[in-house]
Amino acid sequence: MIYKKAFSFIKRDLILATSYKFEFFLRLFFMFFSILTFYFVAKLIGGAGVQYLEPYGGDYFSFVLIGIAFSGYLMTALRGFSESIRGEQMMGTLEAMLVTPTNTSTIITLSSLWSFIFTSFRVLVYLLIGVFLLGVDMSDANLFAAMVILILTIICFSSIGIISASFIMILKRGDPINMLFMSTSELFGGVFFPIAVLPGWLQTVSHILPITYSLSGMRHALLQGYSLHALAPDIIALAVFSVVLVPLGLLAFKYGVKKAKVDGTLIQY
Amino acid sequence: MEYFIETYDLTKKFTLQKGFTDFLMHPFRKDEITAVEKVNIKIGKGELFGILGPNGAGKTTLIKLLCTLILPTEGTAYVNGYNIAENSGKVRESTGFITADERSFYWRLTGRQNLKFFASLHNFYSHDAQKRVDELLNIVGLKNRADDRFLSYSAGMKQRMAIARGLLNDPEVVFMDEPTKGLDPGAAQNLREFIKERIVKEQGKTVFLSTHHLGEAEQLCDRIAIIDEGEIRVIGSPEELKSELDKPNSTLDDVFIHYTGKEFKEEVAPKHPYSERRRMMREGRRGMMRGGRIGGIRF
Repeated sequence: MIYKKAFSFIKRDLILATSYKFEFFLRLFFMFFSILTFYFVAKLIGGAGVQYLEPYGGDYFSFVLIGIAFSGYLMTALRGFSESIRGEQMMGTLEAMLVTPTNTSTIITLSSLWSFIFTSFRVLVYLLIGVFLLGVDMSDANLFAAMVILILTIICFSSIGIISASFIMILKRGDPINMLFMSTSELFGGVFFPIAVLPGWLQTVSHILPITYSLSGMRHALLQGYSLHALAPDIIALAVFSVVLVPLGLLAFKYGVKKAKVDGTLIQY
Repeated sequence: MEYFIETYDLTKKFTLQKGFTDFLMHPFRKDEITAVEKVNIKIGKGELFGILGPNGAGKTTLIKLLCTLILPTEGTAYVNGYNIAENSGKVRESTGFITADERSFYWRLTGRQNLKFFASLHNFYSHDAQKRVDELLNIVGLKNRADDRFLSYSAGMKQRMAIARGLLNDPEVVFMDEPTKGLDPGAAQNLREFIKERIVKEQGKTVFLSTHHLGEAEQLCDRIAIIDEGEIRVIGSPEELKSELDKPNSTLDDVFIHYTGKEFKEEVAPKHPYSERRRMMREGRRGMMRGGRIGGIRF
């Protein structure tokens, strides 16, 4: 029955989001702007740095389009869980949910579903605009491999997000996980430029971030149609991150909820 | 006799957050206040039990402990036979919680959408949820306004919605935290009658109700516990408690004075709990707080 419960959360959030109609349409409208910005940056760059972009097909706009689209999942995971807690705390609805038989982790997970759906919608819009209006070539894309990478990406990023939410449960604000990943992922994760541009010692940092493997795998799957076999290094790395991060996230969250219940601060913000 | 709520030396202490100076001066000192201390109560099926005390006496903390929202520091409690710390899920399955906080709803959703959402958290979906929500909207008299947004409801209607939500899972035990708070006298009286007639007499629910209105406690409750500074001072029916005093025509106010040595004042809650905590921390530095209990703060 979890899917029925998930549907209730999505329906609630859809009604709430569309009840602020102006904001809803503004968010849709401004999606186009960041894509266009990078489109013109790519035009300016032209063929410069092509040796770094070669492994991804050689085109900067295609490279960065996938970077900004899929890094959105990390941002959503990092913000989604903790913001759903803070949002419910500030609205005053968290306590009413926590006295029901639905356990706290389910409430927090399902509360962030809408953010993931909206992010997926944004990714789809980015890719459609890129392909149909701005000339990105994805004719060789291996969609099945991309889905595998996407699922592993969401598992990894969500686990990090849940660890971040555990800190929010206790600290309320100033979560170090969020700050750490937010500030390092764009620089070291290969969102805007290939990590090969970085000095060797900085590339070491890139290799301990899941986003590096996620974006690398996604680019190879969508732009060059790599098979699952060819994507094995990225898939294995993401799987290892998942194996470590999922139990760590669950343990951290369990501890966070218990501590907040002992301190009596579960609904404080 | 079958008890639906039992507590054994139930105690809750809160650790106070230190200010920066305090943290530097006394890094290992732990400042605590006791919100609930060694509470022992037994409540039977179909009983309307009231916990009466001024703001900050520990009423809300006690309810939150029994609803599993916070964990006890010491002692144990059973609700419907389930331990509140070890079987919190089972406790929540068989209890309802009604709060006066109107912010606990989604204001931009309609009344029906709100109830259907909370019904899903009680594992009622689709047709079952629809049926239960319609039933409850009928009971609380909000069927005609069910499809209006919650933000358009009056304070009384919001409170009736809170009751409907608290009964979604047809609970054996209903906890009510100051249910008439913020209502005008007429609406409050209607709500009291509704609680007594519909929820207790008709539906046979066991109700645990907190209040700081003497009249409300006297009118509604089969038994009352007077709580002050986290401790239960006395338990009994309003008539028993009054008759125990050697004073003709005694009132619950007299009972309160007799057992607490204080006059019953309906104190105003601090505007901001943190400012109150900061005040207590300052007093704590002057040696007034350690090891003591502090009234006037609501947790």
